[in-house]
Parts: sequence; structure tokens; C-alpha cells
Amino acid sequence: MMRWRILALAAAALLACAATGNGYIISLLVVIGLQALPAMGLALIAGFTGQISLGHAAFYGLGAYGAALIGRWLGVPAWVDIALSTAMVALLAWAIGWLVFRLKGHYLAMATLAFGIIVQICFTEMHGVTGGQDGLTGIPPLSLFGLTFRSDAAMLAVVWLVAIAAILAAQNLVASPTGLAMRAIAENEVTARSVGNDVQSIKRLIMMVSGAFCALGGGLYAHYIGYLSPGPFDVGFSIKLLLMVAIGGFADVWGVLLGVIFITLIGELLKPLGAYDIVAYGTLLVVSVIYCPNGLLRGMAALVARARRTAIAGSTR
Amino acid sequence: MTIPLLSVKTASVNFGAFRALTDVSFDVDAGELVALIGPNGAGKTTLLNVLSGEITPQTGSVQFDGQTITGEAPHDVVARGLARTFQAAEPFQNMSVRENVMVGGVALHRMGLLSSMIGRGTAVLDQGRLRREADEHLAAVGLADLADQQASILTAGQRRLLSIARVLASGARMLVLDEPGAGLNELEKRALGDIILSLSRTGKTVLFIDHDMPLVSRLARRILVLDQGRIIADGEPADVRRNPRVLDAYLGRRDVAQEAPKVIRAVTSPLLEIGGLGVKYGGLLALDSVSLGVGRGEIVALVGANGAGKSSLLRAIAGVEPCSAEKLTFGQRDLRGVTADRRVASGISLVPEGRALFGSLTVLQNLAAGRYALRRARGFHHVVWRDSAERSAFERRLETVYQLFPVLQERADQLAGTLSGGQQQMVAIGRALMGEPKLLMLDEPSLGLAPQVLIEILRCVERLRDQGLTILLVEQNVSAALSIADRGYVLAGGRVIAEGAGRTLLQDRGLTEAYLGSSESEADDAGPGRDVVAVNGG
Repeated sequence: MMRWRILALAAAALLACAATGNGYIISLLVVIGLQALPAMGLALIAGFTGQISLGHAAFYGLGAYGAALIGRWLGVPAWVDIALSTAMVALLAWAIGWLVFRLKGHYLAMATLAFGIIVQICFTEMHGVTGGQDGLTGIPPLSLFGLTFRSDAAMLAVVWLVAIAAILAAQNLVASPTGLAMRAIAENEVTARSVGNDVQSIKRLIMMVSGAFCALGGGLYAHYIGYLSPGPFDVGFSIKLLLMVAIGGFADVWGVLLGVIFITLIGELLKPLGAYDIVAYGTLLVVSVIYCPNGLLRGMAALVARARRTAIAGSTR
Repeated sequence: MTIPLLSVKTASVNFGAFRALTDVSFDVDAGELVALIGPNGAGKTTLLNVLSGEITPQTGSVQFDGQTITGEAPHDVVARGLARTFQAAEPFQNMSVRENVMVGGVALHRMGLLSSMIGRGTAVLDQGRLRREADEHLAAVGLADLADQQASILTAGQRRLLSIARVLASGARMLVLDEPGAGLNELEKRALGDIILSLSRTGKTVLFIDHDMPLVSRLARRILVLDQGRIIADGEPADVRRNPRVLDAYLGRRDVAQEAPKVIRAVTSPLLEIGGLGVKYGGLLALDSVSLGVGRGEIVALVGANGAGKSSLLRAIAGVEPCSAEKLTFGQRDLRGVTADRRVASGISLVPEGRALFGSLTVLQNLAAGRYALRRARGFHHVVWRDSAERSAFERRLETVYQLFPVLQERADQLAGTLSGGQQQMVAIGRALMGEPKLLMLDEPSLGLAPQVLIEILRCVERLRDQGLTILLVEQNVSAALSIADRGYVLAGGRVIAEGAGRTLLQDRGLTEAYLGSSESEADDAGPGRDVVAVNGG
């Protein structure tokens, strides 16, 4: 089965990387795993259901701040605060869906963008709760059944277990009747509704799952980094998530993972550019959407296939 | 007495001041096969939207299977067993044919989010009931061979069948089909007819809209006729075709046409000549080698049923629809390969169906927009700068338009979108006149207008002709159009089937047949469709 082969391949690659013991590589892999969760969430709503969102960084941020604050206020173990925060963000995402899905296309993009900006401003301005620009410090590391995951290698295992579980769940969802309805909604809402699908309800449910994926990633992120500031959850991150989904080909579960890897690695290369890296991301988004609508990977595969055909045609002549 | 499956009681729908449906009442019994017909703008699609829950009627109620469904959301109506198709039967292009049908069954075999995510959905989708049922429905409409193909490769006829299969998958007991036969060729229509009849035999209740009278008479044992939002006839096909109110609805009141005897003008030199013109939409042949001529100073009327290709012809002449033609000359000029804006500049103006005004611009700005193509053709600097010659020409044209439609001068600064329908039509004609046309083409100027307004507009058209303008008119009120026309052409199925002087054409039997079908063709149909006769006899 295709799916198990990809899974085995991913696990082998992870193990190989972990085995090198290189701290830089391992921390990079943890970051990829963390970002795969919100990217997968965005792919479900934007890629498969066709409802664009420019505010998904907010769900990620709310998941992170939520987990940290719940842990601090209630004094519960880290895994409990992540679960609680995920549940709350899922509810919020459902409610946001109820609010914004009366809009379509550009208007939907504007509304979700506004949501993202509002949340980001709240992170910055609510000093008493979030610590404002100074941020939240002293978030304890993740612990489970008395085990504390202090090292990067331990986090690597946890993050990737969660990420792969989420990807498999997303894949199951997409391959189910609900997934078929999602694809139908992406193409033609009116026809999808005319055969009895409650379009608005499906959109809200998928938004809920999407928000939950983001919050899960955010909560893990908070306990991994140990320090939260509003910066990483700005609109720029929403765009980056969208870029990951676009590179992955919008409606392609494993493609999204490749998109995340690609963008994270590109991000490392672009570090010397400083704040100008957003220019490079913008260019990449435009180019990939115009020239590789099925994702960068498939676009390149098509290009290679064409080059090979031309080469064969050239050699036979 | 049994309860009817569907019962509509005094349903009315208003869009602003426009009454789309007025006190519509009818019943459909379980197992019936009913056709709904009516001229353009009669309210057929609005009625379908009321049935499917897309529109809630302001008054009246809809009952299905004894339950009131008025105001229920569309998906709830489907869950009760009433599902519809759409006029534009667009499939989901990125899915296979089978997946297209399976979409129809998703709501029927509802599955929770959690069980979907832990992987129980895959089985239902790929091996289970959903797939098996989809294959059954595909077989029922004869598309089983194409199940694994991408839906985007289907022809227009296959797309219609696919949308029927999708509706079947929703488990509906009653199917409501919006123009299933529109744009299909005779062969495809016959196949479609067979499938609808076989569905009816398996116990489905069917209500369908169509304009093709031979198809309607072959399938339906009962026809409902809608005109201006009211049911004007309800009965067997033969009775409906003889019903004088139905004839009036389709062809206009013919006694009015008797009023003014018409002087047939001598045939003048041709202004527009067309030979062997064809228009294709995808695989659909909308016009098939049409040849006609329009002489200088003539009013020529194009008439024919919905989908005959009238608008396509006007659009092809205007250059907004790509076409192939052996001959297409205007004056002495070959129009083939000339872009639409150049054609406007050379004197061909189209007043499109539905008027296409700039609703957020004022009347004066709309009129000024009519000169753009003319100015652009003289060079780009004429667009950015109005010289004195252009200014005086503009004033002169504006004066002519205001003389024709004085009301526009009063309303010059009003936003065009806030005008009444009749005034909007005047702005649309005025805008076309601003471009100093030699040939004015009007597409359905009476659409949505009261009869008095139509008379006023047609009087203006006659006055324009008397001023020397050549006019090509498409109008659904056939009597009114032919009574002012010098000559007329009757289009059916993308071909010219009759031509002649306006008044004589009005008496032509071919005209009635083009709209309502002939009684002979029904007899011809009875051969291959023997089962129809059997049903009728039983």
C-alpha cells in the first residue's frame, strides 16, 4: 500500500536524521513537525474545501498562548493544557466559521485576514495576560506519565508522532464520503447543496478540525520553546502556511509535508536576507500558484518528464 | 382520494416590484411525469427554486408527501426526497464520473467526523454501498462505461445524464429537472427521453422544464404552462397545444397585429450579408450554416423558440462570439477577423439581452460610454482628449437620443441602476445610438417589461427605421415584432427554417411549429417510442 510505504520512508528518514545526533538538524526537524500541523489544518480548509484563510497563524498562536496560560493558571500537566487549549480553539474556529463562511472569495480572505490581525494585536496589547511584547517566559517542558521531554530528540519523537497521526487522520478524512463532499464544495457549492449536503455545516466542521490541528501544533510549540512572544504569529506566518500548502499542491496530503520541509529549508537559506525574506516568499507564492498549480513537486516532475522526452526525441533523431 | 406527492398552494414570489410568481397552485401525484413549459421570463426557474428551497415564497406554501416544506433549507428538502438538477449541468471537473455520482450519495449515507478521521470512511467510499449505488445509477443512465473517466471529457448530453444520475444517488423520490434537453441534438434528446421514461416506469415522480415541444409531447402526459408568473394551462399535451391562451403566451396576441396594414418595401441594397455561419459552444452546435441578409433601412426580425440560436447569431455578428463563416460582409467590408470593438466603430451596435447597463454610473455617463469604441478607433489620443469636433458630434447625438427618449434628459444625472426596466431599456438603446450605428441589433428588448412599455419601445424602433437606420430585432413577443418588421427569419435548432415578409410569416404554420411543435411530428415519434403509446393507451 502506497500510504504505508510513504510512512515507512518518512520514519526511516526521521530516524536517520536523529541518528546523526546533529543538534541543528534535529531542531530543524522538530520545527518542521510543529509547522506540519497548522499547514495540514490549512490544507483541509483551503486546499480540499476551497475556502481560503489568511488567518491561520492566529489559531496556532491561540493554541500556544492558550496552552501556556491554562498551564500557568490551573497548574495542570502540560499534556492536559494542550488538550484543553486545542478543544477551546476548535470551538472558536467553529464559531469563526459560522461568522465568516457567509462570505466567499476575496471577502472571505479579507475577513480571515482581519481575524488574524485582531488576534495578533490582542497578543501584543493585552500586557496583563500575554506579557505583551515582553512575552511569556518560563513555560515548563512537556511531560507525560512522569517523563519530562527536555531534550530535542525526545521532542522530535513526540512532535512527529502527533504530526503523523494528524496527517493520517487528515488523509482518512479526505478519503471518506465527507472528503468527497469537501471536494464537491470546493468546485461548485450550489450543485453540492442540491444533492442534500449541508454546505455551511460541512465548512464549519472542517474549519473546526483545521483550527484544532493548528492549536495542537501551537501548544506543542509553546512547551518546546518555553517562551512566547507575539512575533511568530503574525500575518507573515499565515502567508507562509499558505505558501506551504500551495507548494504542496493545495489538495495533496503528503505534498503539504513536502511543502513544509521545502519552505523551512528555504527559510534557513534566506536567513541572511533578514526581514526581506518575505519578498522571496511572496515571489515564490506567485510563481508556484501561476506555474505549478498542482504543487511545486508535481510541476518539477512534469518539467523533468518533458526534458526527458525532449532528450529522447533528440537522441533518436 | 389520495394525498398528492407535491402540492403547491397559492405561492407568490416578488423580487422588489417585480412579480415573478403570482398565486401558483398545482398538485403532482406520485408516479406522474409532468412537463412545465412557458416563454422566457415566465418564472419557471423561480418556481423550481421555490420547490427546492432556494427561494422561500412570500405567500403560499409547498407541501411534499403531506408535510409543509416551505422555508426549509435545500438540503432538508433533498433529505425528504425531492431533488433537482440545474440548467447548466456542470459536472465536478476534477472528479471521475463515478465520484460525481457518489457526491450525490454522501448526504444519504451520512458519516460522523470522528469515524471519518479514524479511517472508516474509506471502506464506504471505495468498496462499499456508495460506490455500488453510484455504479447502479450510472448504469441506469447509460454511462457505466465511462465511470472511471475524468468528468471533464463528457459531452453536453452526457453531462446532463450525469447530473440526473447524481440526483438519483441522493435517494430522491421526486426528480425536478431544469431543461434537461437544452442544447442537445436529436439523437441525444431521444436517449434522454428514453431514460426519463424508464425512470418514470421505475416509480420516480418527474417534473421537468423544457422548450423542445416534440420532446415534451413525447414524454409528458400532462403539461403545466406558466406565463408571467401564473399557471395558464394544465392538461394533456394535445389540449394544451390547442389552448388559445397558450398560443397567445408564446406568440403574442395575434389580433393586435391585424391593426396596421403594412406596406412591404422594395428590397434595397444589402447592408449585412451572412453565408454559412456556424457557432459552437464546446461540442455544442448553436448555429449551423446560417445564411441571411439585411437590406439598408429594413427592420428584420429573428424569431424562434428558446435555444434556437437567435442571441448567438446577434453575438456572432457583433463579434463577441467566435464563429466560422463563409461570408460575413457589412457594407463592402469583410468582417471576418475584425475584433468586436472595431465592428462597433464601423457601425454595428448590439443592445444585449438584459441590457448590460453600468448600474453605478449615471444615465449621461452610460450614454457617453457608447461613444468609446468610435473614439478609440480614431486613435488613442481621442480617448484621453475630446476635441471640438467630437464635442459637437457628442452634443448632436445626445440631442437625437433625448428627442427619441425625452425621459432620459430628465433623468440624466440619475444612476442607471435605479431606473425602471423600461427606462433602462431606453438607456441601453440610447447608448448604442450614441456610437452612430448603421445597423442596430436589439436582443429581447421587451424582457421583463409590461406590454405597454414594449409598444412604446417598438414605436421608437419604427421611428429609427424611418430615419434611415437598419435594425435587426430579436423579440420573444413574435406578433409584435413581426408586425413592425419588413421581413423575418424563423430559426429552429440553429438553422433558418422559414423566411418572408413579416405579416405573411405570422400566418405561417412553420412558426407555430417552431414554438409548439407540430401534431404530425408527434405521430412520427410514436414509432421508436412505442412504450409511450402503450402508456397512453393504458
